[in-house]
Amino acid sequence: MTEPLPPVTEEEARAAVALAARLAGVPLREEWQAAAATSYLATVAAARLVLDFPLEDEAEYAPVFRPVFRA
Amino acid sequence: MSGAPLSATAIVAALRAGRLSARAVVEDSLGRIRAQDATINAFTDVVAERALARADALDAARARGEETGPLSGVPFAVKNLFDIAGLPTRAGSLINRGRAPAARDGFLVRRLEAAGAVLLGGLNMGEYAYDFTGENAHDGPSRNPRDIAHMAGGSSGGSGAAVAAGMVPLALGSDTNGSIRVPSSLCGLFGLKPTYGRLSREGSFPFVSSLDHLGPMAGSVADLALSYDAMQGPDAEDPMQAPRPIEPTLPELEKGLGGLRIAVAGGHFARGGEPVAQQAVALAAQALGASRVVDIPEAARARAAAYVITAAEGAALHAERLRARPQDFDPDVRDRLIGGLAIPAGWVARAQRFRRWYQARVMALFQEVELILAPATPARAPLLGQKTLVLEGQTVPLRPNLGIYTQPVSFIGLPVVAVPLWPDAGLPIGVQIIAPPWREDLALRAARALERDGVARCGVFQAG
Repeated sequence: MTEPLPPVTEEEARAAVALAARLAGVPLREEWQAAAATSYLATVAAARLVLDFPLEDEAEYAPVFRPVFRA
Repeated sequence: MSGAPLSATAIVAALRAGRLSARAVVEDSLGRIRAQDATINAFTDVVAERALARADALDAARARGEETGPLSGVPFAVKNLFDIAGLPTRAGSLINRGRAPAARDGFLVRRLEAAGAVLLGGLNMGEYAYDFTGENAHDGPSRNPRDIAHMAGGSSGGSGAAVAAGMVPLALGSDTNGSIRVPSSLCGLFGLKPTYGRLSREGSFPFVSSLDHLGPMAGSVADLALSYDAMQGPDAEDPMQAPRPIEPTLPELEKGLGGLRIAVAGGHFARGGEPVAQQAVALAAQALGASRVVDIPEAARARAAAYVITAAEGAALHAERLRARPQDFDPDVRDRLIGGLAIPAGWVARAQRFRRWYQARVMALFQEVELILAPATPARAPLLGQKTLVLEGQTVPLRPNLGIYTQPVSFIGLPVVAVPLWPDAGLPIGVQIIAPPWREDLALRAARALERDGVARCGVFQAG
């Protein structure tokens, strides 16, 4: 088992969002930053659930997701 | 025409029998829109002239003895992310209103009109479909016709409101994480989210290509099946559409439950909602003879993976617009899209790999049962403007949590029929009937059994 991922603070979330917005050329007003960071933290929490789940290296995803079912 | 509006099935029968003209039906619907929409706010565009011309053409064709299709004279409307010729496809946004008008209708609109249906207009929705409430900062909220102080649900809020108000018997919506099933639940309607890749998405504004579906909402199971059957068909212009034959469901509806093994989803789906959500599932389970409980493995993680993919793909889709006109977004949508810009690509890849793992596990369940029941929403329609829900004693943000039961299902593209139940004298709440891929027919059959027994009902339309 790998170590649990470290927590992300609100300050770090704000910094990550600010950098991503800058890289994307999106002007980020001061008054939008807190809500965008809160949203990002919610995604971080969701991503943790996914990242914590062990998958084999061979578990590839399909380039086009087509549901399959054989009765 | 007076009294309760007619269902799509009843309209078709009345036209065939010569009791009604398409013009009379369309004028009736337009009158209901004029009378109610100032309050309900379901429509953003009404194409009355086009609809009346189309109705007259249908009546003329019938007068000449021509067959005009299985949906002859049925008025319908579409979430305003569907292309409507001559209108900019706004997708609930302010920004898209500056786009060039659509050169032609979207594929599903064309299919329905080819079957004789009549388009009445475009419907309100949550901006860019990133929504479960039906509220919209630019167009105002769709109001729930069951109680106008409450949300219609979203993002196909106008679709739910227009049908529940009886303005049209049929509306189209889109469902990425629950946007057909949530408003169906909150407005007390039947809604079908087909298998991912079944219906062409050509001529609709996307949100999350990995998860986007289109489908119908209606007042009865027969109306769902009638419209769904007409919309099936190959379209080379949708690269995600799967190569499937047209598989009509209407002839299957009255086959009953014989041979169907039906279970209730436990685990994630038995937690986190108000008691009424479970009461509705219990009522449906009892009526369908479903005593077995199955655990859909890792459903909460599936929801989380859908959340990550949605945030990342949504942000990627709108990055240019965020760059050019961030101030013109609905603030609730903009904040989440900007947050989505910061998601590492590796998280998305991991979520997609998990998706494949999860799909394989859920498919194994379908070797043991044909249908699975689950709540559609954790609560009945919240009040307009409400920001939080109290679920199992915890106060949680309303927007993401309205989709806790729908997201793990659409994540792997399973077909679902949402059916409206009325566990007490209060507002309705929906139950999901979940089927294996490509077996919409089975979910519709079970929905019809519940409707026939009076367990699930819309109660807005006359059947004939």
